[in-house]
Amino acid sequence: MGDERVIALDSVNLDIFKGEVVCLLGVSGSGKSTFLNMMAGLEKPTKGEVLIGGVAVHTLTEEQVTLFRQKNIGFIFQAYHLLPMLTALENVSLPLIFQGVSKHKRELNAKKMLEIVGLKGYEKRRPSRMSGGQQQRVGIARAIVGNPKIIFADEPTGNLDSHTSQDVLDLIIHMVREKRQTLIIVTHDREIAKFADKVVTLQDGNIVHIKTKEEYNQHENA
Amino acid sequence: MSNLDLIIMSFRNLLRRRTRSILAIIGVVVGSSSIIVMLSLGFGLSANFQQQIESYGNLHIIDVMGGGGYGGPVAMTSSKDGGMGGASSLDDLTVAQIAKIDGVETTSPVIQEYLKLIIGKYVSSSNVMGIENKMLEKLGYELQSGRALTADDKYALLFGNQIPPTFYNPKKTLYSSWGGAAQVDVLTDKIILTGDMAYGEKNVPQEPGVAIDYKMYKAKGVGILSNPNDESAYNVYMNIDTLKIIKADLKKARKETATGKQTYDLVKVYVSDIKKVEKVSQAIRDMGFQTSSLNDWLKSMQDTAKMMQGILGGIGAISLLVAALGITNTMIMSIYERTKEIGIMKVIGANLPDIKNLFLLEAGLIGFIGGVFGIIFSFIISLLMNTVLKGIMDTVLGGMGGSGSTISLIPWWLVLASLGFSTSIGIIAGYYPARRAMRMSALESLRNE
Repeated sequence: MGDERVIALDSVNLDIFKGEVVCLLGVSGSGKSTFLNMMAGLEKPTKGEVLIGGVAVHTLTEEQVTLFRQKNIGFIFQAYHLLPMLTALENVSLPLIFQGVSKHKRELNAKKMLEIVGLKGYEKRRPSRMSGGQQQRVGIARAIVGNPKIIFADEPTGNLDSHTSQDVLDLIIHMVREKRQTLIIVTHDREIAKFADKVVTLQDGNIVHIKTKEEYNQHENA
Repeated sequence: MSNLDLIIMSFRNLLRRRTRSILAIIGVVVGSSSIIVMLSLGFGLSANFQQQIESYGNLHIIDVMGGGGYGGPVAMTSSKDGGMGGASSLDDLTVAQIAKIDGVETTSPVIQEYLKLIIGKYVSSSNVMGIENKMLEKLGYELQSGRALTADDKYALLFGNQIPPTFYNPKKTLYSSWGGAAQVDVLTDKIILTGDMAYGEKNVPQEPGVAIDYKMYKAKGVGILSNPNDESAYNVYMNIDTLKIIKADLKKARKETATGKQTYDLVKVYVSDIKKVEKVSQAIRDMGFQTSSLNDWLKSMQDTAKMMQGILGGIGAISLLVAALGITNTMIMSIYERTKEIGIMKVIGANLPDIKNLFLLEAGLIGFIGGVFGIIFSFIISLLMNTVLKGIMDTVLGGMGGSGSTISLIPWWLVLASLGFSTSIGIIAGYYPARRAMRMSALESLRNE
């Protein structure tokens, strides 16, 4: 069992441009999460390269890649991954704490962020006393507060009901569009894909096809 | 991440797992306070020794005696007077030589004579010491009443604390009553000194053919010393030059042959720096004389105290070691518990050193807080020992050996050292867990549920 080699991704080539919203679509086990993790420097490819803005992310040491992530990348997770002992405000401030931003400034920014995601008045709440949708809003605020160039979202609506999903998704898309950030979103929900500029469909570790928004919507509607 | 944020975050993490943190801290409290208390016992013991010995006399003083003449290396090396086995005698030349040794501040030759002191019908036989005034000052004897000797005093006597009660009436009793109240006032009554030990006694066998004409000297008491324990208690002090005259008169009266050269029974040497006493003693012994100082005692007693302290401290150190293992264990548990959290922090931008420092700081804080409470706890125990336990010991032991004032003594540097020590123990104990937290893969930590 241990010697069995699993090829999660094979011959995957993809260009993503600044400000694009890209959706990685695929069923469970298609390799879409692995693809995302590699792009974010969380996993290293055995072969091939990952270039972000000219930086060869796959060659960086763990320390360098953490620093790179701190400066350039924001994350939104399916399970929110908020720190349970911190309040909403503190959770949003956390990336700024790591960046060494002063307390006054980071709390100001975090407060503003919470207001934008519609959680004004929830600053002192802990995640355990919030609904899934609210928690994910905190997660979004946390991903965006540091003003990263790229945002990775791994099934951001996977744990939410369809109505809340729609709200959360609208929020994410709205925010990245406004700030001209690049968004890479992984999902198996074909509805979400409709919002993307580019839809990449994966299957068994390969890219099956890459479609523009127009092509995808035509195909879906047909 | 700023240092302040790191500290605040570590503190909050400790508060989150309150029970566990408190248990780990208690471990350090027990460990560090056992070291402090154990060491404090050693310091107390050492201080007690010093105090006890100081009550016997002055630690600055070296008594120098003649070479002994019992053969052996001391006598062999003493060639001052020439001849094998000849005792080195203490004369003015040797006094001058001793005075030149580095560290010696003052020297004084001492002569002694056993004399009869007479006050009316009361008499006392006492050892009269002739000593230079400057040395008497250095000896630092405290006065109970009267005044000290001055350089102008000739037939003035300074009494040791235990001398006045030894005056007795030979017509009534055979011996002086031990420890009774003095029947004379040595400071106001007229005193007569004589070398005639038979004075006033009845039934003294007359030695046939020898009739010695002893001189009588008028003297007056000027002061009484206060210490009943040290060597001064059983001596009467007077001007050395006056005693020299009395001695010379005695020799003449007894028709002894005069040696011509003035020799001394003893030379007292004052060394201002106690640390140099040992060295000066050695230098004098190298000249062929015997020395004795309370410092010799003190040193061996302090060595004993140090050894005991080492053993006791070692026992304390074991408990701190156990506490260190407790910290490591706490931190490892904490990492398991917080694996996911570490993953999240890494993904959202925590630098690897931040993660490491966070855990190191938490461990260090456990050590530091434990150290602070350990010190407080130690002072409480120390106080209890010095009050309650000492009370019990004093009652059980009665007067004997109860001269020490403290059982446990905590010097200020021990407080700082133990705080530093327990904090570093915490950091060392936290190093492995912290490294482990830093090296965990972010992705795998994140998947951990």
